[in-house]
Amino acid sequence: MEQEIRILREEAELDLQRAESPEAVEAVRRRYLGKRGRLTQLLRGLGALPPGERARVGALLNETKEWLLAQLEARAEAVRVLALEDRLRAEAIDVTLPGRRPIPGRPHVLGRTIQEILEIFRSMGFEVVEGPEIETEEFNFRRLNIPDDHPARDMQDSFYLDREHLLRTQVTAVDVRVMAVRRPPLRVVSIGRCYRRDALDATHAPVFHQVDGFLVDEGVRFSDLKGVLSRFAREMWGPQTRVRFQPSYFPFTEPSAEIAVHFGGRWLEIGGCGMFHPRVLEFSGIDPERYTAFAFGLGVERPAMVRYGIGDIRLFWENDLRFLNQF
Amino acid sequence: MRVPWSWIQELVRTSDPLDPEAWAERFPMLGLGVEAVERWGDDWVFDLETTANRPDWLGMVGIAREVAAVTGGDLVIPSVALEEEDPPAQTLASVTFEDPNLCYRYVARMVVEVQVGPAPRWMADRLEKCGIRSINNVVDITNYVMLELGQPLHAFDYDGISGGRIVVRTARAGERLVTLDGVERVLPEGALVIADAERPVALGGIMGGADTEIRPTSRRVLLESAWFNPVAVRRTARAVGLRTEASTRHERGGDPERVRIAAARAAELMRRYCGGRVLRGEVDVYPNPEPARVVALRYGRLRRVLGVEIPREEAERILRRLGFDLETREDRALVQVPPHRRDVEREEDLIEEVARLWGYERIPETMPLAEMGVGRLPEELARERQVREILLRGGLTEVFTLSLLHPRDLDRVRIPPDHPLRRAPRLLNPLTEEHTHLRTTLLPSLLEVLRTNRTRGIPDVHIFEIGRVYFPSGEGWEERKVVGIARMGRMLLGRWNLPEDFWETTFYHLKGVVETLLEELHIPDWRLVPEAAPWLHPYRAASVWIGGERIGWMGEVHPEVAEAYDLRGRAYVAEVALASLLTHARPPEFRPLPRYPAVDRDLAVVVREEVTAAELVEEIRRVGGPVLEAVEAFDVYTGPQVPEGHKSIAFSLRFRSPDRTLEAREVEGILEEIRQGLRQRFGARIRGA
Repeated sequence: MEQEIRILREEAELDLQRAESPEAVEAVRRRYLGKRGRLTQLLRGLGALPPGERARVGALLNETKEWLLAQLEARAEAVRVLALEDRLRAEAIDVTLPGRRPIPGRPHVLGRTIQEILEIFRSMGFEVVEGPEIETEEFNFRRLNIPDDHPARDMQDSFYLDREHLLRTQVTAVDVRVMAVRRPPLRVVSIGRCYRRDALDATHAPVFHQVDGFLVDEGVRFSDLKGVLSRFAREMWGPQTRVRFQPSYFPFTEPSAEIAVHFGGRWLEIGGCGMFHPRVLEFSGIDPERYTAFAFGLGVERPAMVRYGIGDIRLFWENDLRFLNQF
Repeated sequence: MRVPWSWIQELVRTSDPLDPEAWAERFPMLGLGVEAVERWGDDWVFDLETTANRPDWLGMVGIAREVAAVTGGDLVIPSVALEEEDPPAQTLASVTFEDPNLCYRYVARMVVEVQVGPAPRWMADRLEKCGIRSINNVVDITNYVMLELGQPLHAFDYDGISGGRIVVRTARAGERLVTLDGVERVLPEGALVIADAERPVALGGIMGGADTEIRPTSRRVLLESAWFNPVAVRRTARAVGLRTEASTRHERGGDPERVRIAAARAAELMRRYCGGRVLRGEVDVYPNPEPARVVALRYGRLRRVLGVEIPREEAERILRRLGFDLETREDRALVQVPPHRRDVEREEDLIEEVARLWGYERIPETMPLAEMGVGRLPEELARERQVREILLRGGLTEVFTLSLLHPRDLDRVRIPPDHPLRRAPRLLNPLTEEHTHLRTTLLPSLLEVLRTNRTRGIPDVHIFEIGRVYFPSGEGWEERKVVGIARMGRMLLGRWNLPEDFWETTFYHLKGVVETLLEELHIPDWRLVPEAAPWLHPYRAASVWIGGERIGWMGEVHPEVAEAYDLRGRAYVAEVALASLLTHARPPEFRPLPRYPAVDRDLAVVVREEVTAAELVEEIRRVGGPVLEAVEAFDVYTGPQVPEGHKSIAFSLRFRSPDRTLEAREVEGILEEIRQGLRQRFGARIRGA
C-alpha cells in the first residue's frame, strides 16, 4: 500500500509538471481527486484494511491528499501566470514609436514677460490699469510737462491721427489719466503698446511695449523708488541682480534717473524713472506739498531680448513658430 | 559731445591729476553718458551724451564745472580781459529786433583790420579733436569759443552788410539765401533770419550766408553772439532741414550772460591771433533783462523727497561748487540761480542737483511706508487672462502682431469698399508704405503669420491673438479688443497609422475652440448661425451670437484669400469681440450631482440635406422638455441607403428627472412625440423605427 501511494505521488507530480493550461491542471485534479480519481479510490478502499493498518495508511493518504491539493493550487497559479504572460507577450508594442499628443499652445514670449512683470508689481501692491493707445496731446504731452514746442513732440517721432490725437508714445499717459479722475494714495501699474515713428528693422519697431507705474502718497521718497525697482529687478533677473540708478532727464520727473541692471556681464538700460515733477501733480490737481510721487517706465522687448539673447526685434512680430516654441 | 581731456585739465585746477579712466566711470554717475573714450596722441577724447535740459554741457566750461565740483578743484574761467580801441562799435553797427519773440539778447562786436589766415596750430588741433574742420583764424575762433563756452557765434564780413545794420526778423515770402554750404534756399515764411538793411544774410542761429562769409580779403568782422528763442531756431532748422553745431546749442536754450562773455572772449582772441583791433564797446540789445532767480531749498523737503539725510553743509557745498549763491536761513537756503543754470526753476531741480552730486548710489533702498497688499486686477483684465488661458489650453499659440497695416491688406482679404472694416483710421504722417493705417481686424495680421510659417516650411499653425482694433467713433476714435484665431494643417503629433480625419484641421476644429471658449466662460444662450463673409468660404462660415447680439464670425478662409496668402491649403479663422465675451461670462455655478439614473436613447432620422443639425436639435429640445438632459448628433451619413438629396443624422439623447427615476414607458412616450414633431416639421423619416 505504501508502495502504491509513493508511486501515485510520483506520477501525480509528473502529471502536474506536464499540465500547461488551467484545463490540464483541472484534468490532473480529476484524475486523482475526482469521484473516481485514483486517490479518491484509495481513500474509499481504506475501510477494507485491517484496523491496525487503517490508521497508519489513513494518515498517509490524508497527508498525500493535502500535499496534492497544495501542488494543484501552486500549479494552477503557475499556469495562470504563464498563460497571462503569453497573452501579454502577444500584445507587445514598440514603445519607441512617437506618442500621440495634441500640439500644445504656448504664450508668446512678450505675453509671458508682460504677465511676469505685472505679477511682480502686483505683489508690491500696484493695481493694474489700462488706457487708450490713441491719445490726446493733452495726456500724452502737456500734462507730462512737455509743452507744445518741446523737441519730444516732433511729428518726426510720433504718429498723428489729427492735430490733437496721436498714438501714445509712452504708457506714462495712463498715469495722468488715472490722476485726472482719482485721488491719492494711488499705486498703479500699466502695460501696453506704444508707437514711435520708426521703420521695422532689427533694432526698431513702430510698435513696442512699455510698462509704466507710479505711486502717489504722502511721504513717498526717491529711496522708495530705488527700493521698489530694485526689488522688481531681483524678482525678474534673480536675487543677485545688481541695479544701477544714474541721473538722467525727463520733463515729467525731477529728480530723474536711468535704471540699468547688470546682466550677462554688462549693464543693460531697462528704463527711466524719477520723482514726478511737481508740475505734473499740479496739472492733475494734486498738491505737491502734501503728496510726493515716483514714476517709472520700463521697456519690455529689450529686457526680454537680453534675457534670452534674442538679437533681432522682428522675431517678436514675425511669429515664426520655431521661435515661439522655444519659450 | 566730444571732449578733449587735456582741455578739461586746463580748465580745472586740482591737487590730484584727473585720471581719464576713473572719469569714464564717474561721468555717468553725474548724468553724463559716456558713449566712447578715444585715445588721441597723448590725449584722450570723451564722447559724452548730454541731457536736453543742460545747454551748459555743450561747452567745455560746463563739463569742467562738474569736474571741479566733484573734485573740489578750482574752475579756471577763460580770460575775457579785452583791449579796445576807438571808435566805438556803435558808430559802425546797429541791431534791431523786428519781433521780440525771436531773440532775447543780441550782442555785436566789431573787430577791424583783421588778417585772415590760418589759425594757430593748437587751436586747429582742438577743433579737430572735437570733430570740427579748421577754416581760417576768424571762423575757427568763433567755433573755438563755441566749444569752450557753449555759446555759438557768427562772424560776418562787415563790408557785406548793407548799412551796417543787423535786423532780427522772420523771412518774408519768396526771400532767398545762399547759405555757407553753397545751397540756395528759398526761405520758408516765418523762418528766423538775420537781415541787413535789405536782405537776409543768415539763418539765425543755424548758418550764415555766403555773401557775408569771411574771406581771405575780409578786413572788418561783425561778431554776432545771440540768445535766440530756442523754439524759433528749432522750427526754422526743421523747416529748412538743416541742423548744425550752432542750432543744436541754440535749441537747448541760452544763457544771457554768456552772450556777452563769449563776444568779448572771441574779440580778444581775434585781436591776438588775427592782428585785429577791437572797437570799443558792444552793441547790446536786451529788451527784457531776465530778473535774478531765487529758489528756496528747504532742508526738510530735501530729506523727505530723497529719503536720506544729507548734511546741510554738504548740500550747500554741492550747490556752491556748481555755481549757485546761497543765503542760508534756519530751515532753508535761498539759492540764487546763476545764468548758466536757467534749467533750475524750482526746489525739485535743486534737490536733483544735490542728489546728483551726493551720488544716487548713496541713497538707500527703502520700501514705501504705506502697507502693501496685492494690487488689484480689474475684473475685465482677470477675465481676459482667463480667455487667454482657455485658448492656450485649447492648443493655440499666442502671437503678437503689429497694429498697423495698409488698405492693401484689406483688399487682400476681400473686404469690400463699403464694408465697416474699411473704416481704418489713417495716420497723418506714416513713415513706411506698409504701415499707413490702424487695423480694424486681426484677420490680415493672422493670415500673414500663417503665410510666414507656411512659406518657411511650417505647415501646422494654430494661433490666437487678443489685440486691439481701432475705429472712428463720433468725433474721435474707439479701441476694442478682439480675439482672433487662425488654424491650419495638422493638429496631432504622433500621427503614424492614423487616418487623416484624426488629425487634419477642419471647420469643426475651429468651431470646437470657439465652443470651448464660450462654454468655459459659462456664457448662456450662445449660438452659431450659418452666415457668409467676403473673406470666408461662403458655405463654410458662421456668425457667433449671444442672445440677439452678433459678437463675431468664423469659417474657412475663402480660397482666393488663401491663395493671396500662399497658404496652399485650407485654413480656418475666427474673430470675436472680447468685450461681448466678458460681459456675458458668468462665474461657475454649482449644481448638485444627479440622484436618479439617466435613460439613454438614440434617434436616427433621414431629412433633406439643407436641414441643419441645429434646427433638428432645437425641435428635439422643444418637444423633449425639461427631462431631456442632453442631445448631441453623433453620426451623419449620406450614401447608398439614403435617398438622393437627403442625409441620415443620428442623435444620442439622455433623459433624466431631478426628482425621480424615469420609467421606460414615459421616455418612449416622449421619444414618440419627438419623432412625430420631426416628421411634421421636417418631413423626417425615422430610421430603424
